[in-house]
Amino acid sequence: MKKGLTSTLLLGISLFAADYSSVIESPNASKIIEKDLLAPAKVFTMPDGCITTDPKAIARGKYIFHNLNGEDSKGPLPEGLSQVDEKGKPKQYGNCVACHNIEEAKGAGNIGPDLTKYHENMMATKVRDNQFVYQKISDARIDNPTTHMTINQTTGLFTPREICDIASYIVSPK
Amino acid sequence: MKTLVKIALSAALIASLSNAGEQFAMSDADRAMYAEMLESNPADMNIAHGGELLEKNCGGSAGLAKFLHVSQKDLPNYIAGFPRYLKDFNMVVGIDQVLQAAMHENGKKPFTLQSKDMFEMSAYVKSLANDVPINIDINANQQMKDAYALGEKTFNTNRGKRGLSCLSCHSTDVIGSVLRTQPLPALGANGNASVGTWPAYRMTKSSMSTLQHRMQGCMQNALLEVIPLGSPEMVGMEVYLGHQAKGAKMAIPGLKR
Ligand code: HEC
Ligand code: HEC
Repeated sequence: MKKGLTSTLLLGISLFAADYSSVIESPNASKIIEKDLLAPAKVFTMPDGCITTDPKAIARGKYIFHNLNGEDSKGPLPEGLSQVDEKGKPKQYGNCVACHNIEEAKGAGNIGPDLTKYHENMMATKVRDNQFVYQKISDARIDNPTTHMTINQTTGLFTPREICDIASYIVSPK
Repeated sequence: MKTLVKIALSAALIASLSNAGEQFAMSDADRAMYAEMLESNPADMNIAHGGELLEKNCGGSAGLAKFLHVSQKDLPNYIAGFPRYLKDFNMVVGIDQVLQAAMHENGKKPFTLQSKDMFEMSAYVKSLANDVPINIDINANQQMKDAYALGEKTFNTNRGKRGLSCLSCHSTDVIGSVLRTQPLPALGANGNASVGTWPAYRMTKSSMSTLQHRMQGCMQNALLEVIPLGSPEMVGMEVYLGHQAKGAKMAIPGLKR
C-alpha cells in the first residue's frame, strides 16, 4: 500500500519535473579512463649488456633523468636520443628530477629519495644491485606495491635500452 | 570578513612556498607580485563580468534562486553545497551545468562548459557564497553517495604513460613534499580547501581557471588522458574534494601560483 503510493509519487515527479539532462554537457569519461588504465605490476629482467660505463649511454640516461620532454629540455641532445617519438610528437623523458635530487640537479623535488652518491652509498655497499635499479625504474610496484613513483616500462613509456641508459647513469660514480 | 579569510588562506600559501627551504622557495619577485595581487585579484574583473552575464542570461541571482526552487536568502548557503543531486536533472550536477540549464530555460543558447563566459558566470555564482562554510552532504541520497565513490575511485586510479594517479601526488604522506620546486598542496580543509578557492586566478597562466579545469591541468602534466569537464567522473571528484574541504569557508576568487 505504502509502496504503491511512493511509486505513484515518483512517477509523478518523473512525468512533470523538467528533465535537463539533454540540454547540459555531461559527457561520459569511463571509456577514456578504461583505455588509459595502468596494467598490473610486471617483473622485468635486465637484458645482456644492460648496465654499461659507455659515456654515450650514460649521457642519454642523464638527459632523460633531468628533462621532461623533447620540447621542454635543456642542453645539447646526446647522441642516439631523439626529441620526437614515432608519431612526431615531443618525446617524453623521465623528469626524474621532479621527485629526486641527484648530482647537478636544478630545482629537484623530494618526493622520492635523494639519489646523490648512489654509487658510493648503495652500489659499493651492495645495498642495491643493478637488477634492483632496473626493476625499480621499469615498474616500482614489484618492490613497493603502493609506490608514488612513476611506472616507466609497463606503460611503454621507455624501451629496455632506455631504462638501461637511465640505470647506468644512476649507478655510475659521479 | 571576506578579506580575512583570503588573507588567512594566502598566508598559508606563502608559508608553504617559503617553508620548504631555500632551493624550493618562491623568488622575491614572485612574492612581491603575489602580495600585490592579494590587494586586488585580477580575477575580480572576471567575476564582475560574470555578474553581468548572469543578469542577462538567467535573470540574476533572483532568477537563479527561482530556477533552483530556493529563496534568494538561502541561495548562498545552497551554493556552498554543490555539486548536488537535483531531481530536475536526475543526476549530480555542478553549478556550471545548472547554469547551462537555466540559460536554456531562459531561451538562451547555453555557454559551453569550457567557455570563458561560463568560467566567469559560474565564478560569480560561487562567489555569492563567499564566507559560507562548504556544506556538501555526501549522505543526502544514493546519487551523492555514488558520485562520491566515483570521485574517490577516479582520484585513486593509476593511469597514463607514467602510471600515476592524483593520489600519487596528493596523498597525505606526500603533501608538503616538493615536486620540482612546487610544494604539493593539501586539497582539503586543513590545506587550502581547494573547492572553496576555485575559480582562482593563476599567476603562471595569467588567467582565471576553475577547479575542474585545474584538475585537467594536472592530468595533462602527469600524462593522464584528460577527461572532459562536466563528466560524472569530474563532478564526482569535485564532490570528493568538496567533502574533504567541508567546513572551510568559500573564498572566491582564489589566488594561485
Ligand atoms: C612522482 C614521483 C617520482 C618520479 C617522477 C620518479 N620517482 Fe623514483 N621514486 C619515487 C619514490 C616515492 C620512491 C621511493 C618509494 C619506492 O621505492 O617505491 C622512488 C624510488 C626510486 C629509486 C630507488 C632508490 C632506492 O635505492 O631505494 C630509484 C633508483 C628511482 N626512484 C629512480 C627514478 C628514476 C630513474 C625516475 C625517472 C625515470 C624516477 N625515479 C621518477 C618517486 C618518483
Ligand atoms: C605528478 C604530480 C601530480 C599529479 C599526478 C597530480 N597533481 Fe594535482 N597538483 C600537483 C602540484 C605540484 C600542484 C600545485 C602546482 C602549483 O603550485 O601550481 C597541484 C595542484 C592541484 C590542485 C589545485 C590545488 C589548489 O587548490 O591550489 C588540484 C585541485 C589538483 N592538483 C588536483 C589533481 C587531480 C584531480 C589529479 C589527478 C587527475 C592530480 N591533481 C594529479 C601535482 C600533481
